[in-house]
Formats: sequence, structure tokens, C-alpha cells
Amino acid sequence: MKSDQQDKIIDLSNASIGYLGKSKAHKIIKSAISVYALKGELVAVIGENGIGKSTLLRTIAGFQPSVEGDFRICGKLISTYREKELALLMSFVSTEIIKVSNLSVFDLVSLGRYPYTNWFGKLLDEDHYLIEEAISAVGLQGYEYRMVNHLSDGERQKVMIARSLAQNTEIIVLDEPTAFLDLSNKYEIVHILHQLASEKEKTILFSTHDLTTAIAESDRLWLMLEDSVEQGAPEDLILNGNFDAIFHSKHLYFDREKGDFRIRKLTKKVAHVHGEGIAMDWTIKALARNGFEVVNLTDPADITIIVNYQEWTVIHLTKQIKFNSLLSLCRYLNSLER
Amino acid sequence: MADNVLSITKQNTRGYRVILVFAFLVPLFFLLDLLVGSYYIPISEILKAIFRSDSANHQVVLIINQFRIPKAVTAILSGAALSVAGLQMQTVFRNPLAGPYILGVSSGASLGVALLVLGTGGLLGGSLISVAGSWGIVAAAWLGSGLILLLIVIISARIKDIMTILILGLLISSAISSVVNILQYFSNESMLKSFVVWTMGSLGSVTNVQLAVLFPSVLTGILMAFLSSKFLDAFLLGENYARSMGMNIVFARMVVFLSTAILAGSITAFCGPIGFIGIAVPHIARMTLRTAKHSLLVPGTILIGALMMLVSDILSQLPGSEATLPVNSVTALLGIPIVIWIIIRNKNTARL
Repeated sequence: MKSDQQDKIIDLSNASIGYLGKSKAHKIIKSAISVYALKGELVAVIGENGIGKSTLLRTIAGFQPSVEGDFRICGKLISTYREKELALLMSFVSTEIIKVSNLSVFDLVSLGRYPYTNWFGKLLDEDHYLIEEAISAVGLQGYEYRMVNHLSDGERQKVMIARSLAQNTEIIVLDEPTAFLDLSNKYEIVHILHQLASEKEKTILFSTHDLTTAIAESDRLWLMLEDSVEQGAPEDLILNGNFDAIFHSKHLYFDREKGDFRIRKLTKKVAHVHGEGIAMDWTIKALARNGFEVVNLTDPADITIIVNYQEWTVIHLTKQIKFNSLLSLCRYLNSLER
Repeated sequence: MADNVLSITKQNTRGYRVILVFAFLVPLFFLLDLLVGSYYIPISEILKAIFRSDSANHQVVLIINQFRIPKAVTAILSGAALSVAGLQMQTVFRNPLAGPYILGVSSGASLGVALLVLGTGGLLGGSLISVAGSWGIVAAAWLGSGLILLLIVIISARIKDIMTILILGLLISSAISSVVNILQYFSNESMLKSFVVWTMGSLGSVTNVQLAVLFPSVLTGILMAFLSSKFLDAFLLGENYARSMGMNIVFARMVVFLSTAILAGSITAFCGPIGFIGIAVPHIARMTLRTAKHSLLVPGTILIGALMMLVSDILSQLPGSEATLPVNSVTALLGIPIVIWIIIRNKNTARL
């Protein structure tokens, strides 16, 4: 087994991010960051808005200077790289939607070859090959001559990822690549990133707000919390309780079983539910939304519901009412409260 | 892979074809421009004057060589220069309404001219202008725009954010314009008129001797634009992307700004400020060539700019009359409808 030290493609030790000020008056956003990423890992950066995800990624990408501590890329301090050297090691995808008219997919992806081509940007056969390879890696074969501003947001983001692939770098840094995308595109983009990391041995670092996809696909999470930055496999962070600290809202709680955040409801009433299968599960969800907690049959309850799919029977006090949908059941439960 | 290379060539053939068409139209309109003037000369006489000057009418040769050819060449140079400068500014600032004067180059030139015409003119009397001749105005304008260029280079080396540079450029232009306004306010009527005439722009006042200076300047600027076409491609995605691709932003910006200032500064010095060509032509180039690659856009913009300016010059020559319209008004009347059309067609001004 190789030592971790050698494989640490991105390595931050006791690092601070923020903005350099005059003399010592730096504005530090986050300090004491000690995290790393190994070769071939997909790493998701997670945290609340404003906690410094973008600043962290921008510092790693070399767009802004680090304030304190060591930021190492492939063992060397970022600040010691020249622009061109860094461009051969690391490519970047921003959250911004590029809107340039008359720019074809091929031409945009070919910009990834910038650090390799001559002064006039002439593309050689090898460049053509790598550009085509990058375009097919994101599944956009046949789109080469479409104009970028005629594509959907999801397709456009894939083109930007293809551009970074054409740059042929060991590391890819993406700042919220799925921010503007719908659910299926979110999954697709993150899945593409996962494949690139595992198949092409690239180290990919991306920030996201989408916990479900991040948990499902990433090898490692960098969890940016109020007081610290934690790292580990998503499952480790869920088990050790670090996830609970992401959001500082008393209305949110992390459901460790489901692996997602839920809105905390003030449960006012308790119910017994009889039934089985998926209809039973969804009935319990619907009850939870309306402020009913489902308890064991041995405990006392305000109300009893018998689930027999497509028919819900509510026993309340002495009344017994039947409903044929959860919608009408919920409307009835709400009317009880008033 | 051979197939790919083939189809890529196919994609760009449209661009090359359009460039070829314009490369044919420019000499055609150059000849047309020689035809029109206050004095009618048949085309056979013109061709004779150009190619067999010893057998042609002496007076015709004089008119063609001393007036019409320098004017038509100036039209080509100014159209090409302003359009390329406009293209560079639109790309670097990622703003479709940017133009060659956005950095304040023309206001610097006008300050130079205003100081000469209105300032010293007021002290030494109107005779100075005729004595110093047009060279005086050229030198003053060049000095003014050179000063602004220096300021911009200093600013752009220190300031990272491109939008800040744009805003500073606009503020500097406004400040200089108000100084020019003050100078205008305190000058007498004849001074004022000669200054206002300069601001209207003119292609006809450039002599053959001056062309010998203007031509190499424009050529230098255009050569720099060709050399920076890879930088410009990278600027399309914004400076963060450009930097992440290994571009030295400060150096690239400097090359582009220097080229723009040389192009816009020289033309303004010799012809006065000429508007709208520099904003409209890059859009026409993008639309007709259907590409965003600057290796095609730069030559395309040069040709279309030259053509537009030749057309403007032909239109400014009122048929059957000795009078000519100020070229600045013609370019505005020609350019503004194009810009309006672009805005309405795109329905989205926030993109190039």
C-alpha cells in the first residue's frame, strides 16, 4: 500500500481562506482547514451559504491568494506554481452560465487545449482527438457544431466539463456545477463526475448544495461547519453526527436513516395506523406533514387510521369516516384542528 | 479521426467564404469611392490615371493621386482600425456595447486638440492653427490619447477586476470631456468652430505625407490584434477561465489595450472621432461569419470595417453637389440602425 502522503493530490494543512488586507488586517473567512483529496477521488464540498465554499475553491484554483497555512497541489505549494504550470495540473468550471453567441460546442471545448497549442492556438491532430474524446466522455457526440447558446443549461454544463477534460489535467475544480440544473441533470452531471474520477483517475473537487447526490456519488466529503471543516466518507460523517451541524436552523434536522434533511414539524397529536406496504409508509409521511406522530399500538392515541389501499378509514372518537385519497384524508385531519 | 478533421474544416469554410466575399467587395468599393467626388471623372480616366499616369490628363492625375486615393485609403484604414479596436474591447469587457473609445482614448485626443485649438489659439491668435497646420492637431491628439493609454496601462496592471477598469475608463472620459467643455466655454467663435469641425471627423484632410505615418501605425495595431487572437478567444469565457487555462491576464490585457489605443488613437488623431463603426462592425462580422473564433473574426472585422467606411465615404459625397456631409454623421446614421437591429434581433443585450 502506498502512503497517503504521496497520493495527496490536494493537501491543505492548517490553512486559512479569506481576503488579504493591508499589512496584517486580513479578512479571514475560515481558518484551521486541514483536509486533503487523494488521486481518483470525487470530493464534494458541502456547507451553508456564505460559509466559504466558493472562496475555498477559488483559493485552491489559484484565483485568490491563500491567507495562511499550506495549500499544496501535487506536493507543491500553490503559490509557487506559474499560471501555465497550474493550467497543466488543474482545470476549473465556474457556476457562471457562459452566454457567447456563435460559439460552437467544438470551439468552446477546444479552448481547453489553450495551454498546449501554439501562439495562434492552432489545433493539431492530437488536439482534435482529445477534444472529440472529451465531448463523447460527457455524452455530447453529434453536438460538435451546435451553438453553445442554443443548448439547455444541463447540456451547457456538460460542455464546460468537456472543456476542462480537454485541458487534460489531473485535477478538476467545479464551483457548484449543478446549481441551475433540474433533478435529472443534477444526477447526471454528478454521475459523470463520479465516472471521470473512477475511470480516468482524476481528482475532482466540487461544491454543491445537493446532499442526496453528493452522498450517493462522492468518495469523500469536505464538510464546512461553523467552527471546523470535517472530512470523511459521506457515511462516516453521517454516522458520527457531523451532518447534524451543517445547518443552524431549528426547523431542520438530519434524518440519518434517509440521509437527508427534513423540516421539523411540531407534532401535536398522536395516531395509530393499521396497514402494510408502501401505502402505509406514505400515509405515515402524510400524517407527519399534518402534525401527527404515529405511535405504537400500545400507547394511547387521538385517532386511528386503517389503511387498505385506495380506502382510508379514520376512527375518531365515536365517528368512523372513509376516504379514497390521502388528499381528502389530510383535509379532514386539518379540519379537526380548528 | 480524419472524418472529424474534415468536418471541422467544413464548419469553418463558411467563415472563410464570407471573408473571401468581403475581400472581393473592398477593392470594388475602393474603386467606386474613387469615382465619386465634387468633380465628375469617368472610370476610364481614373484607371488611366492610376495605371498609365504619363498618358493621362495631368489635372485628373493630380485629383486622383492627391485627393481621392489618400481619402479612400484613409477610409479603409480607419474602418479597419476602429472595427478591430471595437472587437477587442467587446471581447475583453464581454460587453456588446463596448467600442474603440470605451477606454477614453478619444476623449484624451479631444483634450489634446482642444488645448491646442482653444487654449493656445486663444492666447496666440487663430493664425497658429494655420501655421502649425494639421500636423499640430495630429500631434496634440496623439499626445492626448497617448497620455490616456499610459494611465490605462498603469491602472490595468494594478487593478484585477475588469469591470473596475471599465468604470474607471468611463469616469476618466467624462472628467476629460468636462475639461474640454470648460475650454469650449471660454473660447471665441472661430476657435470653437474649428474644434467642432474636428469633432465631426473627416477622411479628406489626411495628406499623402500623413498617410506615411498613419499607415504603419494602423498596421502595427492590426498586427498586434492578429497576434492576440488566442488571448481574445480565452477572454470570451471571462478572466477566471482565461487564468485557469494558463493565460497571463495582465500581459494579455496590456497587448490588447495597447493595440486598441494605437488603432483608435491614430485614427482619432488624423480623422477626428468617428463613431459607431467600431461598435456595429464586430456584430456584423460575428453574424455573417457565424463564429466566435478571433482567428476568423479579426480578418473579417478588418474587411467589413473597411467596406463600411468606404460606403460611408461614398454616401457622404452628396451626388451632384460640391458639399460633403461630415463623415461622423454618416457613420452614425449607418451604424445606429445596425446596432438597433442587433439589439432587437438578439432580444438580449447581455451577450456578445
